[in-house]
Amino acid sequence: MRHLSSFALRAATVSAAVMLVLSLLGSYWGWWRAEGALRQQLDLAIAAEAEGFVREFEETGLRGLAISVDTYARRRGPLFVAVLAPDGRVIAGRLPQAPPPLRGFANLPGTGERPSLRVLGGTLPGGGTLLVAADLTPVDKAAMALAWTPPMAGGAAALLAMILGFVAAGRMERRLSSASDAARDVMEGDLTRRLPLSGRDDEFDRLTETFNVLLGRIEALMIAQRQVTDDIAHDLRSPLSRLRQLLEGALAGPRDPAADAAMLERGMAELDAVLSSFSALLRIARAESGVLRQGFSPVDLSVLVETSAEIYTPVAEEAGKTLRTEIAPGITLQGDAALLRQAVVNLIENAVNHGGPHIALRLRPGPVIEVEDDGPGIPAEEREAAIRRFHRLDRSRSMPGTGLGLALVAAAARAHDGTLVLEEGAGGRGLRVRLKLAL
Amino acid sequence: MRILLIEDDETTAGYIAKGLREEGHVVDHASNGRDGMFLAMSEPFDVIVTDRMLPGPDGLSIIRAIRLAEIATPVLMLTALGDVEKRVEGLEAGADDYLGKPFAFAELRARIRALARRPSGPPAEQSVLGLGELRMDLLQRTVTRGARKLDLLPTEWRLLEFLMRHPGEVITRTMLLEKVWDFSFDPTTNVVDVHVSRLRRKLDLPGEAPMIRTVRGAGYALSAPGTEG
Repeated sequence: MRHLSSFALRAATVSAAVMLVLSLLGSYWGWWRAEGALRQQLDLAIAAEAEGFVREFEETGLRGLAISVDTYARRRGPLFVAVLAPDGRVIAGRLPQAPPPLRGFANLPGTGERPSLRVLGGTLPGGGTLLVAADLTPVDKAAMALAWTPPMAGGAAALLAMILGFVAAGRMERRLSSASDAARDVMEGDLTRRLPLSGRDDEFDRLTETFNVLLGRIEALMIAQRQVTDDIAHDLRSPLSRLRQLLEGALAGPRDPAADAAMLERGMAELDAVLSSFSALLRIARAESGVLRQGFSPVDLSVLVETSAEIYTPVAEEAGKTLRTEIAPGITLQGDAALLRQAVVNLIENAVNHGGPHIALRLRPGPVIEVEDDGPGIPAEEREAAIRRFHRLDRSRSMPGTGLGLALVAAAARAHDGTLVLEEGAGGRGLRVRLKLAL
Repeated sequence: MRILLIEDDETTAGYIAKGLREEGHVVDHASNGRDGMFLAMSEPFDVIVTDRMLPGPDGLSIIRAIRLAEIATPVLMLTALGDVEKRVEGLEAGADDYLGKPFAFAELRARIRALARRPSGPPAEQSVLGLGELRMDLLQRTVTRGARKLDLLPTEWRLLEFLMRHPGEVITRTMLLEKVWDFSFDPTTNVVDVHVSRLRRKLDLPGEAPMIRTVRGAGYALSAPGTEG
C-alpha cells in the first residue's frame, strides 16, 4: 500500500480533519444559539401565563387566584403554577421542587428525578408569592438534538473524503506508476516507448503529452547522433585506411623528393575529402538537431534562388548544359538562409554533375523548389537510398562530391518542416527533385 | 608586420608562427586567453589571430574586451571544424574575419594580408573605384577599362567590385565564395574558376596586359599591369 503516503490521500486526510473540527465548533455554536432562542421563547410563555394569573388576582383576589391555580395544576398544562403564603407554604397549585420565594426569573437545578426548572416569581399584594415554572428538559433535549446535526454531517463528510482520497490515491498511484515504468523503459534504452494516455484529456494527459513530445525529441536527437556515429564509422574509415596505406607504402619505399611530393599531395587530397565529409556530417547533424530553429529569420527565397541561378548559369554552360529558371517573385519564409542556400546549390550542382543537358530550376508558392533534369535519373527503387548519407550511385562514384549532398538537402527540408521528394522528370525521363518547405 | 597569435594548441600555434615568421612577420604567441588579452590590450599589433576556444577568457570575450577598449586592430578568428554557423556570432563580437580549422596556410596568409591592408575604421563611401586604367562607377553602374566599356553580369560585377576593393591582394577561392557569394560551404563544381575566367575574358582582351593573375595553390589577384606580377 504505497499510496498510503500519496498526495491525494494526504489532501483528503487534511480536509477530513478540517471538516471534523469545523463541524464540532459548529455544533457547539449551534447548541448555544438554539438553547438561547428556546429559553427566550420559554421565558415569554412563562411571563404571559404569569400575567394572566396576576390579572385573575386583581379581579378575584387571592381566593379566586388559588382556585384557578389549582384548576390549572389539575389540567396539567405545560407549565407549573403555585401560590405561596408569606411563610413559604404552598397555598394552591404545585411545583416538582420545593419552591423558594423569589422575584424575577431564576433557574432551579434539577435533583435526581426532579427536572431542572425555569421559574418566574412575583410577590402578590398582601404578602403571597406567585410562581410560574417550566420544565427545562424539552428545551435541553431540543438544543442537544440540533447541536448533534453538524458533527453527524461533518463526520459523514470526513469519512467520505477519506474514502474518496483513498480511491484517488490508488488511481493516481496507478497512473503515475505506469508513467514512471515507461520513463524507466526509456532510460534503459527503449527510446520508442511513450507514456500512456488515459484519454480523459485531464491535466495528467496534458502533462503526459508534453512529456511524450519531449521523448520524441530525445529519440530524434539520439537517432540522429547514432546515425552520425555510424556514418563516421562506416564511411570515413575507408578513406582513412587508404591514407594510412598510402603513408605506409611511401615510408617503406626509397626516399625520392618527386615521388614523396606526389604522395604528400595525394595524401592531402584524401584528407581534404575526409575533412569535407566530416564537416558536411556535422552540418547535417546540426540541421537535424533542430537547434537552428532558434536562429530562424525571414528569408527572401525568390532572391536566394534567383541569385543561385545567376551564379550557376555560367557553370552549367561550361559543363555543356543549360539552366532554365521559373522563379515566382516575393516568396519569403522563416528559415536559415545559409542552410537553404546550400540546399539549393546542392540540388543545382547535383544536376550539373550527374544530370542531363537540360536543367530546370523552379520556385513556386508553397514554397516548393524544384530542380529537374533530363539525364539518366535514379531508378525508383534507389530513390529512397539516394537521400541517405554517403549513398552514391555506382555510375557517379568517379564524380566529385561527398555523397552527402542530398542528405543535407533532406536535413534542410526537415529543419524547415518540409519534405524532399525524388521523382521522374517530365515524360518519365530524368529526375525531378522537389523540396517542399513549410512557411 | 607584428602579429599577435592567441592559440592554445602547441602544434597549430607552432605551424602558424613558423609560417608567418618565414614570411618576415614578427609573431608574439600567447597560449591562453588571459595572456592573449593582456598582450592585445598593452601592445600595438597590426593583426590579431585568435582561436575561438581558449583556456581563460575565450576568443569572443577577448574580441569584445579589446573593442570596448577601442582598439581597432583587425582580428581574425580561428574556429573548430563544423563551427561555421557560429560565424555570425564571431563577427558580431567584433572579429573582422573568420577561418575554420583546418585551413591551408595560403588561406591564412591571404586573409591576414587582406586584414592588414584594410584601412582602419569604416570604409569611406566611394562612388568610383579605380585601379590602373580600370574604373568602376558604383552610382552609374558602369565599368571601363581605358576607353572600352565592359558589359558585366551581376555576379561578375560583384566579383570585380570585391577584387577592386582588394587591389594586389591574393584572394583565395574560399574568400570569394564567402564574401562575394555568401557560400559557407565547399561547392562540388568549379564555380569560382568559371566566374573568374568569364570575368577575365571580358576584362583582359587578347593583346591587353592581363590584370587578373592566378596564384597557384592560393587564388587570384587583381592588379594594374606593371605594378605586380
